Amino acid sequence: MDAAFFERLKTLNKRYVLFSELVDKGPDDHSYGFHFSAKDNLCTSNFQTRAGSRILEGYRPPFDATPVRRMREAGGFLLGKTNMDEFGFGTFSTNSAYGVPRNPFDTERSCGGSSGGAAAAACLLDGHVALGVSTGGSISCPASFCGVVGLTPTYGRVSRYGLVDYGNSLDKVGLLSRSSNALSKYFPIIAGPDPMDPTSCPQPQLNLGPVEIRSIAVPQEAMENIHPDVRTAFDRAIDTLRDSLSVSVEEVSIPSMKYALPAYYVLATSEASTNLARYCGMRFGAKGGDIALHFNDYFSRVRSANFGKEAKRRILLGTYSRMVGFRNRYYLKALAVRQTVIEDYGRVLKKHGMVATPTMPFVSPRFTDIERMKLIDMYRADFLTIPPNLAGLPHISVPCGYADSMPIGMQLVARHWDEAVLLSAAGSWESSFKYRFPEAIR
Amino acid sequence: MRIGLEIHLQLPTASKLFCSCSTSGNGRNTSICPTCLGFPGSRPRLNRRALEIGIQISKFLECKIADTTWFSRKTYFYPDLPKNFQITQYDSPLGVDGRFHVGDKIIRIMRVHLEEDPGRIKRVGKSGEEVSLIDYNRSGVPLVEIVTAPDIASPTEARDFMTDILIELRHLVGLSGKDEQTVRVDANISVGEERVEIKNILGLKNLERGLSFEASRQAKLIKAGKRIIRETRHFDEERKVTISARGKETEEDYGYIAEPDLGIFNVGEMARTMVPVETPLKMAARLASKYAIDRATSRQIVMTSRTLADLFERLCGTIPPEVAAAWILGPLSSNRDLLENRKGDTLACDIERVLQAVVSGEMTDSEARLKINALGKGESVDIAAEGTEDGQLRELVVACIDENPEILSDFKTNRRVANFVIGQIIRTTKGKYASSEIVEAVNKEIERRLRKEQS
Repeated sequence: MDAAFFERLKTLNKRYVLFSELVDKGPDDHSYGFHFSAKDNLCTSNFQTRAGSRILEGYRPPFDATPVRRMREAGGFLLGKTNMDEFGFGTFSTNSAYGVPRNPFDTERSCGGSSGGAAAAACLLDGHVALGVSTGGSISCPASFCGVVGLTPTYGRVSRYGLVDYGNSLDKVGLLSRSSNALSKYFPIIAGPDPMDPTSCPQPQLNLGPVEIRSIAVPQEAMENIHPDVRTAFDRAIDTLRDSLSVSVEEVSIPSMKYALPAYYVLATSEASTNLARYCGMRFGAKGGDIALHFNDYFSRVRSANFGKEAKRRILLGTYSRMVGFRNRYYLKALAVRQTVIEDYGRVLKKHGMVATPTMPFVSPRFTDIERMKLIDMYRADFLTIPPNLAGLPHISVPCGYADSMPIGMQLVARHWDEAVLLSAAGSWESSFKYRFPEAIR
Repeated sequence: MRIGLEIHLQLPTASKLFCSCSTSGNGRNTSICPTCLGFPGSRPRLNRRALEIGIQISKFLECKIADTTWFSRKTYFYPDLPKNFQITQYDSPLGVDGRFHVGDKIIRIMRVHLEEDPGRIKRVGKSGEEVSLIDYNRSGVPLVEIVTAPDIASPTEARDFMTDILIELRHLVGLSGKDEQTVRVDANISVGEERVEIKNILGLKNLERGLSFEASRQAKLIKAGKRIIRETRHFDEERKVTISARGKETEEDYGYIAEPDLGIFNVGEMARTMVPVETPLKMAARLASKYAIDRATSRQIVMTSRTLADLFERLCGTIPPEVAAAWILGPLSSNRDLLENRKGDTLACDIERVLQAVVSGEMTDSEARLKINALGKGESVDIAAEGTEDGQLRELVVACIDENPEILSDFKTNRRVANFVIGQIIRTTKGKYASSEIVEAVNKEIERRLRKEQS
């Protein structure tokens, strides 16, 4: 981490827009053991925390998020805040108020989202580990598109203290890096109970180490609407697992997978619409002119001017789902669906060590293609990442092939609290499959 | 007339409901943190003590308490509400289906739940240039909300209900009776079909006045054949009238969802193992039936002071309850501050002996009163009717009266006959005792014998 590294980093950032805020220069002393980045929705006392939103412009939190604090205490140097979809609302990181991050394999394509900047940083910086956050697939998706390894832990494994909320019952802080080795090294630092986040307190201890996996389940529901290139790469990966790693593979059915998507959007937006109520031009973040206005008008003005289009859409969706008359039909029903999804996974994972699917149904699309995509198709692109996220199950996305030199990801899902299984499996996978990366800076 | 009340009671916990900020901040916006200011990334952590108090209140109000409870978000935009949602309880209140007795009447309790208080808005500046300032010290202070069924029949009954329930709750949760700010009431009242809500009434006097005004307003409208509009009104304390709060009234939709950051709490076990507390009015009712004194007296004893009530029970073990009650409400009551400060068995024991002496006729009322005053002042007092010196004197007096028994019957008509005995004793003791001592000893012995004669 010499001065030249930080110069290269600045140049890199101009090209890839990974960071919404980046350090000016490196540390004065050499006591730091590694560098890391934090997604912009994790509170940091020495950087703004804007969660990709204009409404948090200028907000500098008075505290560090617990995962950030723990990384710092372990000797990590925080390079900056990685770019993201506003409040995590998106699949391509195109919904940021601070520019759109560019895919390290092809700058005309998306990094994926919402932790797009984090995945690109993990890909482009040698030895880097990026703190990402997933609500419905925001670690797996960009890991897949940027060809890196992304670990989304069990819900409650990592403290959410200092995480700008999207959907509190779904949000999980995780890690992205070039290899599972790095994840195994850094994950124990951020995992573990934190009294500042009561939902992190009841958790069993994390014990990483080699775990033997005998069988993997592949749900047939995951094989529909998959791009042929992805299907080919995934099938080949499954063959490798079966032949080289002598794991038995069984096709199973998880029927509730297809209901996970609508249930997720109802729950996530319901929670989001209440979380985002606090952004009103008072106390922190963007202000909106005339404070002599009636508070209702003032709040509306600030919110209209500073929330992006997708944020507004999700606030409306969520508010609607919570309303009297719709609450029973949407919100309460979605809660029941979540329970069913958890039970369905539970049944399969009782028999099998992991569930494997492709991570995304296609390789990273070009920005020009994204512009033409219908909204519903964007939401549907998450149909493989949402089910484990809805169920709070730990999952990891690993590169498993390349099409047109763009990476393809495979997603492995394990039982609650079984991150050790995922990291062990990813380690074995890496012994038989070589990842490709663009040239990194160091 | 049907009246239902929603009572908001601030709980006397040291810290706020969801953070460790003190509930007693000195100076505006001094007791605040990221959590009670709703900063992004902050999280609530439940204050266990508040949960315990809430359960205690639910249990006291004879509510059904579920095994598990959780919190909800009530979303509405207001500048004093930092997150623009309030963490409260919606579909899982701490207690439901309870009851509270006011005299012989039962007022049903619909629900009891916990919630956080918003901040406080102050309007400052001269007229025309006013600005609103917000003090967030109150933001996150724990409140218990108690909702009654519309079982209250009049403004007076509402006031009686509030008086009694507050006596009980203040004792139960350890709240001082002085700060009216700790209790806020919303009242629903319907004279005819449609109900009107009067919001944020401070103080019992205002509650009764507000309801009385509203009752006659509604009665007049009905009499004039007009419709009563379902609405929210405010009570103007100055003018003593209720005023419509909003132009058009639509039921606000708070879009309740579960609060995901707090999880579920197992309160069933907590409720089952909690030791019930005897509240003042329950104690008064028990004293009245156990010792056969009238309710007003027992209530007066308990309301005067809990220490006195405990002393009353002790005295009832050895002296007649009506005598104990008279002494408790009389001389003991006027010394109650001193008694409060010097709680302890020896003091109660001394008082008991003094009053036993009175009952047995060994001590006059006035003497007992003096002794009790002295005990109250913390002076060491000779409890026996007479000391050693006095004992000798008393023997002489007793002997002299025994020799002249006619004195007793003559004394009834002519108190001066006592002078005969007094003179005798002055002569025999030759100045050993002050004449005033001798006078007192003689009078006392004669009075004692006469009382004995009577009983």
